Amino acid sequence: MDFEPNADQQAILEAVGALLAQHAGAKRAIELNRSADYDRELDAALDAAGFQGVALADGTGLLEAALVVEAVAKAGGVVGIGASALVAPGLTGRALPGPIALARDGDTGPVRFAAHARTLLVDSGEEARQLTLAAGDFSPVTSNFMLPMGRIRTPQGRGESLGRGSGERLRSLWRLALAAETVGTMAACLEVTLEYVKRRRQFGRAIGSFQAVQHRLAQCAVLVEGSRWLVYEAAWQDAPAEASATAAAFAAAAASSLFAETHQFTGAMGFTREHDLHVWSMRLQALRLEAGGVAGHRRAAAEKRWCRK
Amino acid sequence: MEFRWSDEDVAFRRELREFLAQALPPDWAELSKHGPGSDAQAEFSKEFCPKLARKGWLTQHWPKQYGGRDASPWRHAILGEEMWRIGEPRSSQYMNVNWVGPTIMAYGTPEQKAFHLPRISAGSAFWCQGFSEPEAGSDLVSLRTLAVRDGDEYVINGSKIWTSYVNYAEHCFLIVRTDPSSKRHQGISVLLVPMQTSGIEVREIPSVVGDKYFFEVFFSDARVPVSCRLGPENDGWEVVKYALAFERVGAARYARAADILDELAELARARGLLTEPTVLEKLGEARAICEASRLLTYRVIDVRAHGRPPSADTNLARVAGTLAERAVSELALEIFGPEALEYGHVAESHFRLAMTAGVAVGTTEINLNLVANRFLGLPRE
Repeated sequence: MDFEPNADQQAILEAVGALLAQHAGAKRAIELNRSADYDRELDAALDAAGFQGVALADGTGLLEAALVVEAVAKAGGVVGIGASALVAPGLTGRALPGPIALARDGDTGPVRFAAHARTLLVDSGEEARQLTLAAGDFSPVTSNFMLPMGRIRTPQGRGESLGRGSGERLRSLWRLALAAETVGTMAACLEVTLEYVKRRRQFGRAIGSFQAVQHRLAQCAVLVEGSRWLVYEAAWQDAPAEASATAAAFAAAAASSLFAETHQFTGAMGFTREHDLHVWSMRLQALRLEAGGVAGHRRAAAEKRWCRK
Repeated sequence: MEFRWSDEDVAFRRELREFLAQALPPDWAELSKHGPGSDAQAEFSKEFCPKLARKGWLTQHWPKQYGGRDASPWRHAILGEEMWRIGEPRSSQYMNVNWVGPTIMAYGTPEQKAFHLPRISAGSAFWCQGFSEPEAGSDLVSLRTLAVRDGDEYVINGSKIWTSYVNYAEHCFLIVRTDPSSKRHQGISVLLVPMQTSGIEVREIPSVVGDKYFFEVFFSDARVPVSCRLGPENDGWEVVKYALAFERVGAARYARAADILDELAELARARGLLTEPTVLEKLGEARAICEASRLLTYRVIDVRAHGRPPSADTNLARVAGTLAERAVSELALEIFGPEALEYGHVAESHFRLAMTAGVAVGTTEINLNLVANRFLGLPRE
């Protein structure tokens, strides 16, 4: 057991941090959101620097991919990094043409990045399917949740099957990627809220000095850190079904608390487009509902642990 | 990062389980239903801990010079998990090896080390912890129990409360004020008090947690030699802080909770409930909390394994441990239903011990204060 990042992991975190400082951030996310756009520049920069393929490189794997996914989410990147850096390599052993969107067979609601995706990976139960999206396959959706989305029109059953059992593998990787994104997004919510409560003064003192505020933010920290280690362990273990569902279950529940508490303590300011919180907080709700949502993750975690034949 | 037990660790856990299968009596489940502090379990630990000691496992994480094996904190954590998940056959002796011994190693005189450490590592020492007072609970530094120097003795007056294990303890790890005019963190000292000292009276406080769980201890002109003092006079708060850092995640509560949850799932299966979505959701939710608690505790062990000073990670882990206990113990009552109302039922025993989690060893609120100040950098109120 060792919870310290090794030299490679530290180097990856530093390098991706430097890249994100240049290409991502709240300002960029807000700008892209005005036209419901996808960040192709960031996508290309991450690809050129090798971060999209980190799961497939020598000596690195899903844990390093999860670290990248978390960092991109924390920087507010508007890219499908979870699908491209973690899910696709884990599922197929190679990089797939991006952007990549993930959907479940029969999904009728908006799907993240579907309006911009070239590749769609579909969970059809027993198997996963891969298809290339063309212009008429989706319609863009207007959404207030700070991510570009599309509604898929493709009929069910289209695309190439990735084989028996690939459905389960897709679900595990998807849950892991989702949990990693949720961790980065929650950490950013907490960070901007901490800055706010340290600065904002009422009754002659910083509101962050009130115990009523401190305790609830400390509870948020427990949820974020718990989610983080669940993600790292599941990723290190190559996304087993049980550990991935467990991480997603905990993170999705944590996301509800983080949304409520960070908005509570940033007051009316937190709802404005002036303040950065919404860049991350609104996404938390979208992440929380994906891939079956918290109830689905919890059932999967329980089934994998106790219902194996 | 590496989330994997070494081959040696895996082998150790296997060997330990084999040993337990041999060393525990057939009626262990019955014996352990009253909790680690019960008379029966303390009595059992007198034969069990020396066996563990002979195996070299009881204090394996201690340095060789004190009778340990320099084993990694991870190895000791495995022992803790395996002990707690079955209801702690070491009884209160887990405290000795987790924090009493290590604190004596750090602050003890050669005589204190020579006297106490071999007894603890042999598995035949019983300690209790004299921290809380009627007017000093979470606000521990407002303690008033006084030890006044008289020649080469201290004369102790005052009282301690909620003291578990005192009914059979031989020594008390006692915090006192040695400077009567001092305030807060100053003027505090630690005394290692033999419980047979005259002037000490023990009274049980009946509670719903179980018989002989809480006690009150009264000191009336109890005299102990100055040589009982552990660490500096009047600067004992650093000793207390050192002990607390070890204590707060001493008990692998998540391991017990996770085991109970497995039992619950088996019961749900037997009743055909394991196909019900709402039951699966509740089980999955509780499982996720137990797993988060396990990893946050591992993080604390990792910090120790890297030789770094204790951090606020300890407080995060404590808060999560309490969440896990609550999630599982409440679910246990719900799944078993009214059956769980009978004393000694597995769900009842777990619930009874779990309900103290947010209060024992520092309340959740104190832990949240420390997370807010040290981990989040929020200003003190």
